[in-house]
Amino acid sequence: MPSPPADALGFLFVVPPFTGHVNPTVPVAARLVADGHRVAWTGVPGTVEHLLLDGATFLPATPPEVTGYAGEMAARRSDLRGAAAFKFLQEEVLLPLGDAMVDGVDAAVDAFGADVLVVDQQALAGAVVGRRRGLPWATSATTSAELVDPLAGLPLVAEAMHRRRVELQLAHGIPAHVAEAGDLRVSEHLLLAYTTAELVGPLAVEAPVTFVGPAIAGRPESDDFPWDRIDPSVPTVLVSLGTLNAEAGARFWQVAAEACRGQRWQAVFVAPPELVPDAPANVLVRRHVPQLALLHRVDAVVSHAGHNTVCESLAAGLPLVLAPIRDDQPVVADQVVQAGAGVRVRFARVRAEELRTAIATVLSDEELQAAAGRISKSFAAAGGPAAAASSLVALGSGGVGGTH
Amino acid sequence: MPGQFPTPAMAEAPTATATGAAAPSRDDVRAELERILTDVVGDDLLLDGPLTDETSFDADLQLESIEFVALADQLLATYGEQVDFVGWMAGMQLDEIIGLTVGQVVDFVVSAVEG
Repeated sequence: MPSPPADALGFLFVVPPFTGHVNPTVPVAARLVADGHRVAWTGVPGTVEHLLLDGATFLPATPPEVTGYAGEMAARRSDLRGAAAFKFLQEEVLLPLGDAMVDGVDAAVDAFGADVLVVDQQALAGAVVGRRRGLPWATSATTSAELVDPLAGLPLVAEAMHRRRVELQLAHGIPAHVAEAGDLRVSEHLLLAYTTAELVGPLAVEAPVTFVGPAIAGRPESDDFPWDRIDPSVPTVLVSLGTLNAEAGARFWQVAAEACRGQRWQAVFVAPPELVPDAPANVLVRRHVPQLALLHRVDAVVSHAGHNTVCESLAAGLPLVLAPIRDDQPVVADQVVQAGAGVRVRFARVRAEELRTAIATVLSDEELQAAAGRISKSFAAAGGPAAAASSLVALGSGGVGGTH
Repeated sequence: MPGQFPTPAMAEAPTATATGAAAPSRDDVRAELERILTDVVGDDLLLDGPLTDETSFDADLQLESIEFVALADQLLATYGEQVDFVGWMAGMQLDEIIGLTVGQVVDFVVSAVEG
């Protein structure tokens, strides 16, 4: 393979099979390409390619059977919540996929000619390969939950998880003193956080963190939305449980419909219509919505506290009602509450009057709205994909970090 | 939070602990835990029958993290500082947290109140 020009760098994005972790890499990569650099992705085939721009380079990190495994695990995960969901995610998904992806990521580095690895915080194989080969690698923290140490109250659990990640490194030939010294989730070179200090609060990790704000620009959205159904004279709430949870929210949708019935606001539910059979007149149910466009037309959002939906809402300056379901969502929800921009309710057992009060609060409380506006400004100032790209180029040019 | 929600149980608690001699029985504690959980979770807590020692917080009750926090607050408000639920959970491994049952919490409260 011919050497690239001296100032052009090759960036390999190492991603897990999760849509929300791939999406933020796309505008960052587009920016790198616009600046004359090369980009490629590696991960579990069949879970990534459809999320990339046309013509993007994808190098499979695993054989086809791993795609089946990942799909099966994703289906089983959707039945779990709480501590059992955490154990399953770590032990049946992240660690085995990390192990399975190491050889493929290593081969992809050679095939693509990668100068820098951009490693999602949940794609452990990228960190293993980066450390083993001594390549500059950045952590791409597409959710901010791991930056605030959600296991701070459970030190034995945190230590056990750390040991498993050390063992993964030892199994792939990283010397013990190197494996023990670091954390696969936190690059010693650069950590890109798609949030800002205004939202995330004090960090629990020691790392060269660059806050870039959310990377949400440029997502193509199909628009068959019936905009004439939105009455501009009435406050509007968007209710979304994210791409993965709409089906699992059968009870939640019923409660949300009752919460909205007869109120002086209108709501757009992103839900399968059959789950809201008796929707009140002020509730519009759509299986898909052009979310970014819609966020500019609504006044508040009810969300499962997925990091991307939360950041897109706050970027639009909207306060949130948060009903976290699992994984990082309770941590993200608490960040929003701490930052003063949202109200948290329960997911599984929330009552209609509880949800109604929460929605009425976010539609009327000026302090919540002001906090959302402050976070929106901090997002805009953080620089987004352009800031992420310039940090990555600086890393690849030896301009930041180095080992410590 | 303590003191914000006066309940009959809270009024009784100081007598039980202040005298020292009358530590609550397991049945007392289980009944109190059921009251707290009904308050935290809602009335449908008991739809599947009364709590037993084997009822699991994760699989059976599916307690959400915000509900764990409320439970810890109410145990503190009811029994005082020696019932440090958060500190107790900090000593657990993941499988112990997943397997946590009503009976284990009852035993913990009884032994913590006895000192």
